[in-house]
Amino acid sequence: MSVPAYTAPDETSTLATCAFAVHLAASGPGPFPPALSGHAGGGEPRVLDAGELALIVQSVPAAAFAGEALAERLQDPAELERCARAHHDVITAAARTGPVVPLPLATLYLDDTRAVAAVREREAQFTRLLNRLHRRTEWGLKVTSTPGAQPPADRPAGETDRRRSPADGRAYLDRVRGRQRDREHRHEAAWRAAERVYAVARRTAVEARRLRPQDPALAGAGARQLLNAALLLDHGTEARLRHAIDQLSTDPAIADQARIELTGPWVPYSFARLDEEAATDGLQ
Amino acid sequence: MVSSEPAPWQGDEGPYGPIGVPLVDLLDRVMATGVVISGDVVIAIAEVPLVRLSLHALLSSVSERLPAPWADGGPW
Repeated sequence: MSVPAYTAPDETSTLATCAFAVHLAASGPGPFPPALSGHAGGGEPRVLDAGELALIVQSVPAAAFAGEALAERLQDPAELERCARAHHDVITAAARTGPVVPLPLATLYLDDTRAVAAVREREAQFTRLLNRLHRRTEWGLKVTSTPGAQPPADRPAGETDRRRSPADGRAYLDRVRGRQRDREHRHEAAWRAAERVYAVARRTAVEARRLRPQDPALAGAGARQLLNAALLLDHGTEARLRHAIDQLSTDPAIADQARIELTGPWVPYSFARLDEEAATDGLQ
Repeated sequence: MVSSEPAPWQGDEGPYGPIGVPLVDLLDRVMATGVVISGDVVIAIAEVPLVRLSLHALLSSVSERLPAPWADGGPW
């Protein structure tokens, strides 16, 4: 992971090879759509042969990507979005005709030869992973708590409490505790709903994994993200997932607590983990 | 409530289509693909601090720019 031997070139004209994805040579994507341009300032996306495998690369100006330059650029949200979308566009184009292993954003090599060598070094792992992803796609499953679930009607709001029983401190405290309990119960019910959604949905999938929860701000005021997960589905089985989600979402025990969102199909980013392949190797 | 509309980017250009991928969900994936296969130029992308920083910047700007397209039945 740490190869600091490379130093950023002085000349802005120096090119580096940016690798996007690895696929089986036999299931190449063919010509890319003309609109596919990869990262701004780079050459056209192209395919490099690496034996049974092939990789999609693009020549990019090294100065714009090397060292701190890209890291700094990505602090700008607009630039981050451009880079992420450019990366994603190339990967999805590559995935039209067969499985791909997406590489991390801005995986850079000094030149094509080095890029090919890096892939060849891990040919067996890539091949196993590609076989596992064959005819499978990723779906995103998110569950968000429904904001403003109402407390039971017999519990008045705080203002009313004080007016109704200014003298009865004990009754007031009871009501406060009651509201606290209600909140906890709602909280618990919401988490249980999310867990049930995950348990049911993953039965339709080949694999499932939880992703890092997204920023709470995105869930909206008063709402919480209860689940952010990825499912790996065999092609043609998404109807089962949709059916399961539709059933869950009409169940009042869930509908009262949470909103379910499905996104996809995605290239199986969340399941194309070479580090885990390596870990599996270690166990064998 | 559920928003499981037909896949939004299932279009003429293939199963993964071109446009409309929600950025936040995209970053979940692009940023989590953390395996560097010994790149010659190691960039801090996969390292958590930068990602957090960038995501933070992004998310705050998202919530300012697009007041919660996600809060109302999903991104599409």
